[in-house]
Amino acid sequence: MKGSTLAMNKNKFVYTAFLAIAFAATFTACKDKRSTGLEYARNMYDPIALNPDQPVDTAHVPSFKGHAAQLPPANTKPVGFTEYDEYPNTKEGYEAAGVSMVNPLPVDTINLADGKHLFTVFCSPCHGEKGDGQGHLVKIEKFSGVPAYQTGASSRGGNMADLTPGKIYHTITYGVNNMGSHASQITPTDRWKVVMYVQQLQKGQ
Amino acid sequence: MRDISMILKSVWKSLFLFSAISVIAVSTVNAQDAKEGRTLFKAKCSSCHALDAKLVGPALTGVTDRHSEEFLLKWIPNSQALIASGNPEAVKLFNENGKVAMTAFPELDEAKVKDILAYIQEGEPKPAAGAEGAAGSASAKDEGTSGLSLAGIIAIVIVAIVILVILGRASKLLERLILQKQGIEMEEDVPLKVGVRKMFKNKKFVMFFILCLIIALGSFGWMGMWNTGVHTGYQPVQPIKFSHELHAGINQIDCQYCHNGAFKSKNATIPSLNVCMNCHKAVQARDKYDGEISPEIKKIYNALGYDPETQKYDESKSKPMEWVRVHNLPDFAYFNHSQHVVVAEDAIRKAKGLQPTEPVCFACHGPVNTMEEIYQYSPLTMKWCINCHKETDISGQKNNAFYAKVIEAHEKIKKGEKITPALLGGLECGKCHY
Repeated sequence: MKGSTLAMNKNKFVYTAFLAIAFAATFTACKDKRSTGLEYARNMYDPIALNPDQPVDTAHVPSFKGHAAQLPPANTKPVGFTEYDEYPNTKEGYEAAGVSMVNPLPVDTINLADGKHLFTVFCSPCHGEKGDGQGHLVKIEKFSGVPAYQTGASSRGGNMADLTPGKIYHTITYGVNNMGSHASQITPTDRWKVVMYVQQLQKGQ
Repeated sequence: MRDISMILKSVWKSLFLFSAISVIAVSTVNAQDAKEGRTLFKAKCSSCHALDAKLVGPALTGVTDRHSEEFLLKWIPNSQALIASGNPEAVKLFNENGKVAMTAFPELDEAKVKDILAYIQEGEPKPAAGAEGAAGSASAKDEGTSGLSLAGIIAIVIVAIVILVILGRASKLLERLILQKQGIEMEEDVPLKVGVRKMFKNKKFVMFFILCLIIALGSFGWMGMWNTGVHTGYQPVQPIKFSHELHAGINQIDCQYCHNGAFKSKNATIPSLNVCMNCHKAVQARDKYDGEISPEIKKIYNALGYDPETQKYDESKSKPMEWVRVHNLPDFAYFNHSQHVVVAEDAIRKAKGLQPTEPVCFACHGPVNTMEEIYQYSPLTMKWCINCHKETDISGQKNNAFYAKVIEAHEKIKKGEKITPALLGGLECGKCHY
C-alpha cells in the first residue's frame, strides 16, 4: 500500500516538474513582437520636447494641430538656408536659370567625390551610375523613359549633353516629367556638387 | 440534374477558353510589332505617359479609338507643328491637357509610330496565370508564419500534456492489474475534489509545489528584469505596409535617399511624403491590383490630398502619416546618427565586418534589405553601446578631421605649447546648452 502511494507521487512529481518547466519555458520565451515589452518609466521614452514625426498633444501646442512636422513661421528661414525662388518652375524660369546661373563651387577632386557620392545615392537608381539612363530601377522595369546624359534628347529641347549647369540645377530643384523635386533631400550646395558631377558624365567621363 | 448542369458549365468554360486561346494565337501575328513598340514606348513615351494612368500626359489605352491613325502619325513626331498649322483636333487636344507641350520625336518614322500604336492596342503582355497563382499562394504562406510558430508551440505543449495523461492512466491500470494478480485489491479512484484536498495535505507534494512555483516565478522574474526596457525585435504595425525588403532590397535604393538626415544630423529622419511621391507619382503597382492603384500607395495619396486623376494636391484634405516609432531611446540618452555614419564609418565597418556593398547602417539596424516589416535589430541598451565603444579600433583613421584634431592637440601638449578648452571644441553651443 505504502509502496503504491510512493509510486504515484513519483509519477506526479515527474508530471508536475515537466509541466512547471514547460510552462516557464513557453511563457518566458513568449514575446509579443507588437509590444515593446516590460518597461520601467515609460515617460523617459516619451520626451516632453516635440518628438520628430510623432503626433503632438493638441492641448500641449494648440496651433500645431496635432503634428510635429511644421513649416517655418512666416518671414523666417532656417540658419544656412539659401532661398531659390529667383527662377520659378516655369519654362521661362528654366531658360533663365540655364543662362544666368553659374556653379559657385570650384571644380576639384573633393567636390567631385562628394558629387559622385550624392549622384550614386539620389540619381543613379534611375539615371544609372554612368548617367546612361540605365539605372537599376529602369533595368527591373519600375521606371522607364530616362534619357542618357550623353546621347539622349531633353524633353525641353536640345540634347541632354548640352544642358547648362543652371538647367540641371533647376531640374534637380523642381523636377521634370516623372522626376520629382529633390530640393528637400539635397541642399543647394550639395545640388551644385551633383551638377558638377553630372557635367563630367555629360562628356562621357 | 445538378451534375449535368455542372458538366455543361465546364464544357462551356473549355469552349470559351479554346476560343480565347485561338484569338490570342491569331493576334500573335502582331506580337513582333507590339514587342518592338513596347521597347520604343518604354524609351520614348513612358517618362510622360502610361497605358492606364494619367501621368504628365493622358492615359494612352484606347488612343487609337479616340483618334485616327492618320492624325496620330502626324501628332506623335511633331505635335507643336500640327497645332501651329491650326488642325482643330490638335488644338482641342492641346487645350484639353493643360497646354503642356509634348516633346517632338522627329526620329520616330511611320513604321516606328505604328509599332508603338500596336503595343498600345495590345496592352502590356500578361504573365502566365499559373505563375501568378503560385506566387500568390507563396506570399500567403509567408504572412502566416509568425502566427503559426506560436500556435505550433502551444499545440506541442498541449499534445505533450495529453500524452502524459494517457501514459499516466495506462501505467496506473497496469499497476492495478499487477497488484490484482498478486491478490491485493486497490481502492477505487477517489473523486477529483477529495483527491486534490488529499494532495494538499501531503507535505511532500506541498513542498514540491512550492519549489515549482519558486522556479517558475524566478524564471519569469529573471527574464523580465533582463528584458525590461529592451525593445529588441519590436515590430509595431505601421499605418502603411512599407516593405524595406522591396525598397532597399529588390529596388536597391540607398538608405540615404529617404533617411538623408542620418548623414547630416542627430536624427535619421522619417521621410516626408513628398519623398515617396518622387517615385510613386508614377509607380502605382497597377499590374498587381487588376489595373487599380495599390491600396498602400493610395494611402500616400489620401494623406497628401492628392488626386491621381487630375494630379493636383488639395492641402485642405491632407493629414500627416502617423508612423509608429520603432527605435526609441530614453530622453536621457544622447545619440547622433551623423557622428556614427559619417565620422566613424570606416571604424564601424571594420569592427562589424561589413561588406563594401552593405551600407554602414546595417551595423546596428541589421539586414534591413531583408525585412518586409521593419523591426528593432539591436537592443540599444547602455551595455550594448558601451561594449561597442570599448571594442571598436579607431587607430589608423585617415582623413578623419575629428581624430586629426585630437592628435594635433596632443602634439601641442607634447611641445609644451599653450592649449585652451576652445581649441578642443569647448566653444560648441551644445557643450553647455543642451
